[in-house]
Amino acid sequence: MKWFIINVICGACLLLAGMTARAEGVDSVRTQRKAERYERRVAYFEKRREKYQRGWERLIPKYQIVQFAGSIGAVSVGTGWDYGKKGQWETDFLLGYLPRFSSNEGKVTLTLRENYIPWRVKLGGCWSYRPFSVSLGMNTVLDDEFWVKEPERYPAPYYKFSTRVRFLLFVGQRFAVDLGENHWCKRISFYYEVGTCDLYLISAFSNKWLRPNDILSLSFGVKFQIL
Amino acid sequence: MERKIWLIFVMAFLGACDMIEYHPYDVRIHGETDMNGKNIPRIEAACAGKDTVRFALMGDTQRFYDETEDFVTHLNGRNDVDFVIHGGDVSDFGLTKEFEWVRDIMNKLDVPYVTLLGNHDVLGNGLDAFEEVFGAVNFDFMAGKNRFICLNTNALEFDYSHPIPDFKYVYSLLADSVTEVSRTVPVMHVAPGDIEFNNNVSLVFHELLKRFPGMEFCLHAHDHKLKEDDLFDDGIMYYGCSYMKDRNYLLFTLTPDWYGYEVVYY
Repeated sequence: MKWFIINVICGACLLLAGMTARAEGVDSVRTQRKAERYERRVAYFEKRREKYQRGWERLIPKYQIVQFAGSIGAVSVGTGWDYGKKGQWETDFLLGYLPRFSSNEGKVTLTLRENYIPWRVKLGGCWSYRPFSVSLGMNTVLDDEFWVKEPERYPAPYYKFSTRVRFLLFVGQRFAVDLGENHWCKRISFYYEVGTCDLYLISAFSNKWLRPNDILSLSFGVKFQIL
Repeated sequence: MERKIWLIFVMAFLGACDMIEYHPYDVRIHGETDMNGKNIPRIEAACAGKDTVRFALMGDTQRFYDETEDFVTHLNGRNDVDFVIHGGDVSDFGLTKEFEWVRDIMNKLDVPYVTLLGNHDVLGNGLDAFEEVFGAVNFDFMAGKNRFICLNTNALEFDYSHPIPDFKYVYSLLADSVTEVSRTVPVMHVAPGDIEFNNNVSLVFHELLKRFPGMEFCLHAHDHKLKEDDLFDDGIMYYGCSYMKDRNYLLFTLTPDWYGYEVVYY
């Protein structure tokens, strides 16, 4: 009987010890797995954050522009994005200032335009030449006297056009100088454009009296490529 | 050779300066301003002491630059007209350059001309350009013993928030009695009854005009067709000229005891 009790106790101790040892082994595997899972999750979220950041970073404008004249204000400042294999597409957003002149007040205008610059010719040194650019734009005057849709007082349709939104078509050329990566901006481009707006085209269409000079508008600008 | 190249550069630069435009609605006027202010003394001087006065009424030049130029060439070919009245709608879109273009064409006339405000001239900030290039929207002048009172009647453009027609101005003309006036000729862009006119005051306006000495008829433009209406059934006629596309104008002859007009095609 004594033996039996001793045996049971020893057996129980052994069993307990064995079980503890086994449990210890299981626990360490679990912890490791948990840690791995945790790391994986961290990495995953890190990746997601990066992706999110990259997505928004793409919205950071790539360049700044300053423009003189060109039917969108006396002086305009803007920013934009270039894309395409050779950066041949550009979307510009500009804010123009129009002094008072003989009107009642100075005005601010907004311009959204799309540029296409298909060719690039390398000149000597860090200079390059883009022989042709074409841009299609929309300009709006921020002023109460101008409307997109005719005010309600008019029996519709009365005038059949908007005084507020002008469509612009310009062609031009550019010269650029590459400054390299260790400058505050990578490249500076100098451009000029010649173009006209929708209402001038309509006017010129039916009249011989209007000469090209009457309806054409010239602009000069500088573009600072930052990213 | 070098001088030639320089000359080309200078010419190109001057051409380029001509093409600097800040905005189609910038009201940055190039060239002559206050045309009515300059032409009215010429009309008054040319007609002073004359019994018979002859003038042409045209209007709505809008986008018809070629036709307007032909009108000027035609009118310069005859020497029996004392002056021209442009009945309004100088521009089509109220763009600054439109006012300059029509001014430049009309300035080629040998005789003086006056220009009224049309509804299209108010679009955008066209009113500012009109006032700068031509002058006030309400004005009057004498041609011999005939007094012309030119009124802005484009009420709809101002959403009835401005006094149009400006009765205060009309009363001031009435009070400002010019003794030598034997006939008064009211001129406006839009005649009473048109949707553009403030028709709540049509009759009041007409009755007030009738109080002017020798008021026999009124003139207007706007309708893009020839008009001849006894609008208030009282024998006072409203004559309207057509637009430039129709290539005609009204030629009026005023004598102390008679007036008449004919439609002239060119």
